Amino acid sequence: MLWAPGEPTTAPGVRRGTPGSRCRAVGWLRPDDEEETAIHPGSSTHRDPVRIEVRGLTKSFGAVRAVDDLTFTVEPGSVTGFLGPNGAGKTTTLRMVLGLERPDAGTATFDGVTYPALPAPVRTVGAVLETAFHPARSGRNHLRVYCRAAGLPTARADEVLAQVGLTDAGGRRAGGYSLGMRQRLALATALLGDPAVLVLDEPANGLDPEGIQWLRGFLRHLAHDEGRTVLVSSHLLAEMEQTADRVVIVGAGRLVREGSIAELRSGAQGAGSVVVRSPEADRLAQILGSAGFTVTPDGDGLVTVAAATPADVGARAFQAGVELHELRAETSGLEDLYFRLTSGQEQFAAPHPDPTTQGATR
Amino acid sequence: MTALVRAEWTKLFTTRVWIGLLLGAVVMVAGFTVLLTSFAGDPQSGIPEVGTPHYEELAFATSANVVVLFLILGLIGMTQEYRHRTATPTFLTTPRRGRVVIAKLVGYALAAVPFALVVLAVNYLVVAVHAGARGAAPSLTGDNLRVLLSAGLALVVYAIIGVGVGALLRNQVGAIVGALVYLFVVEPVIRSIPATAPAYKWMPGGALEAMTATLQGPDLLEAWQGGLVLLGYGLVAALLGTLLAVRRDVV
Repeated sequence: MLWAPGEPTTAPGVRRGTPGSRCRAVGWLRPDDEEETAIHPGSSTHRDPVRIEVRGLTKSFGAVRAVDDLTFTVEPGSVTGFLGPNGAGKTTTLRMVLGLERPDAGTATFDGVTYPALPAPVRTVGAVLETAFHPARSGRNHLRVYCRAAGLPTARADEVLAQVGLTDAGGRRAGGYSLGMRQRLALATALLGDPAVLVLDEPANGLDPEGIQWLRGFLRHLAHDEGRTVLVSSHLLAEMEQTADRVVIVGAGRLVREGSIAELRSGAQGAGSVVVRSPEADRLAQILGSAGFTVTPDGDGLVTVAAATPADVGARAFQAGVELHELRAETSGLEDLYFRLTSGQEQFAAPHPDPTTQGATR
Repeated sequence: MTALVRAEWTKLFTTRVWIGLLLGAVVMVAGFTVLLTSFAGDPQSGIPEVGTPHYEELAFATSANVVVLFLILGLIGMTQEYRHRTATPTFLTTPRRGRVVIAKLVGYALAAVPFALVVLAVNYLVVAVHAGARGAAPSLTGDNLRVLLSAGLALVVYAIIGVGVGALLRNQVGAIVGALVYLFVVEPVIRSIPATAPAYKWMPGGALEAMTATLQGPDLLEAWQGGLVLLGYGLVAALLGTLLAVRRDVV
């Protein structure tokens, strides 16, 4: 990693301008009118944590309420998964958080400041939305454009290219990139300003399994080792279960559940279904039934127990002295929960005008 | 703002659009100049003879024929952000979107100056060589110089109008097709119909003709008035484009 914490702080000479000039740092607040200022490679160790707060965010497109009174918080130093089925309003929410779309109501702030009011947005927040670049421009030149606009030294372009593993492809036209390379280029763009916050919209789309593995590790490294705030959206729970520390689940534009993965797992609704096989299946079903579990005998000695963990079922069987031949969790509680929470638009859809258009958001 | 203008130049010069447009402009202006000079003095064409002041003004106004390419330069400069969806990273980098549009207006106006100088230089060289071969190379003084420089100014203003209109329309293909239809169908029709001809002098094309020189046509404004009208169009397009870019959602 190029500027992992613990790496010795680079000599002051790296920074342009007179040494120790505090006003220089203040000048960073207006990068547009400043000379290019070098990113301080050691700055990651001093990066101030930034908390994202979303309060009552609401946005309608015509009669469709895409985002409905959405409130959640994203904590620094962790990866927060922003989960929901396609059309749940994830992208619209992120675009409002980043000041690209205007909310009908509510606010989204970074440590109390809205995105457009941030003094140096690129140095505070990096965003990966749809992969956007001019096909005839090389990846390196694409990055240089935003270096110039943000007042960063153009050498940052090569640094972030190396960071995402695109150094060799930097000189090629971005139009010829594979989907995975495009995602990496978008990620590189987000990293240009060495931001404290990263917001990523479906970054795993188009990545091969190896790429997804790499992305997981990369995001966890940025959050856990470097203390950044990482908000990453996805419609796949499985993808998030291994990456995120916390999840915010939305359905039809509304908040469905917010909490850490562990909290969700341990919640009452968090238990999944357990499959157990026994030569005394009937007796086992009776015992579990009387203990309050919902039991479905499947024949062939199989019993499915809903809302239970293998530990619960095993303990009961052991107490009753029932012989078991198989005991396993059929679905993880989280997956069950996510499915229940986000399927059935009727249940979780916003109580709003035309039911036929609900959920049909972008 | 300097940084943003430089970012616009980086965008402009890291694709090859500008080369194509500049080459096109050079070829067009050379071609038109050669045609004009070839038919000068031909009674059927109505073009005055080489050596007359009227011919010389017409010859040095030829650059005004390539305003369309400078308009397209501005249109592409603005609309490519929407076409390739780079408006998202651009406005993320600079959330005060008005500054982006202003930087584009300034950047393209400044970039159009050397482009326009190239076109003027080609125009002058072709006139000097061709008209010289036909008897009288015009001098670059007085009215001739004024016409030549006015045509160059018009090229720059059309690039500004292009950026402004691009910010209004956002759709690249629509904006270019619309501009071509306007310049080559709408304006000529208005110019030629007696009932609407009086309005023509207030339109960009009429202002352009007033600024430079014209063969024969409807009533036009004074040259300086034409210049002001054209600048006015540029500023209005820029202002509306800026306001809309700031207010609309980036999608």
